[in-house]
Amino acid sequence: MLRSSVSTLLGIQYPVLQGGMAWIADATLAAAVSEAGGLGVISAMGSDCERLRAEIRKAKKLTDKPFGVNIMLMSSGVEQTADLVCEEGVPVVTTGAGNPAKYMDRWLQADIKVVPVVASVAFARLMERIGAHAVIAEGGEAGGHVGDSSTMTLVPQVCDAVRIPVIAAGGIGDGRGLAASMMLGASGVQLGTRFLLAKECGIHDVYKQKLIKASDIATIVTGRRSGHPIRTLKSPMARRYAEWEYDSNVDDKALSELRAGGLRKAVEEGSESEGYFMAGQIAGMLKREETAQQIVHSIVAEAEELFKRCGTWLE
Amino acid sequence: MVKEKVIEILAEYKDCAPEEIDASQSFEELKLDSLDTVEIVMNLEEAFDIELKITEDLKTVQDVIEAIEKLV
Repeated sequence: MLRSSVSTLLGIQYPVLQGGMAWIADATLAAAVSEAGGLGVISAMGSDCERLRAEIRKAKKLTDKPFGVNIMLMSSGVEQTADLVCEEGVPVVTTGAGNPAKYMDRWLQADIKVVPVVASVAFARLMERIGAHAVIAEGGEAGGHVGDSSTMTLVPQVCDAVRIPVIAAGGIGDGRGLAASMMLGASGVQLGTRFLLAKECGIHDVYKQKLIKASDIATIVTGRRSGHPIRTLKSPMARRYAEWEYDSNVDDKALSELRAGGLRKAVEEGSESEGYFMAGQIAGMLKREETAQQIVHSIVAEAEELFKRCGTWLE
Repeated sequence: MVKEKVIEILAEYKDCAPEEIDASQSFEELKLDSLDTVEIVMNLEEAFDIELKITEDLKTVQDVIEAIEKLV
């Protein structure tokens, strides 16, 4: 059976984490992933404190297994969220889009396992130094906010630089991705896009259908001009943004207003024209809706099968 | 002394001449993003054998120089 330092560290059965996708990852999805033996993660983004508290309590009712909360450090209200996860005794916190140093002391004191998302070696080293239990090395194949390095290049370099477990993310969609990540030195994986098609994921059906239809080249990165690049499906909105981005007649304010609320419009309304449908490059691999359990179990079974075959590569 | 060394390290990172870097400039003005900043801070820590806290107060090159001066 597949075991790794990540499963031991987080108290889960399989080293498979579900990405804490903003506006999407709620208690229902997170609990389903945790029940399946992975680590479900609730996104703090898009919830005010009371709603997040309710989601955390709901997840605790739905599962006895560990789950996490993802805190996007660029968002507002981080200070309150940082305290809330301590009060509620959340087992794991993942962070994104910034440096969580300011909150580390209180999280470590509350016995929370802290797992920041990193996009560079220096950042991973810094996270290890301030006490992170593991890092998620996320390559630019991922959906949502992305860095420049690819998973293939980032993961082995981060693994060489830190002693804490490394979880690979970005471009991982099935057991081949898990096995490949472990070959690169990672002890686990985090998937976002694949879990968008979990039955327990409450995004609009239009969003799900777009993912099923998506091909390998269906995504685009926009927002480099603003310094916050985001990978999404090539929706009308994303194409318009891409056009405006390279038009010097469009000022930064107009550009940022164009995208405002776009993810929510995709998730809740399924708005074809105004939605910003975040997705990773792996979207082309997705063919159907499945339960979180089917997703987690098939990923693990495929990886185990691949590892059994490893020996046949050597004469 | 600290100032010269910080500017030298920054110039090396950016592949430019030290004269092109003005201490009053922010990292943003120097076209360095958050990942660059973390890497530069790590380089500075190694060069000065110190540990710097990366906070929002470290905006300009001068802020970094002053933070280092307090530690060496």
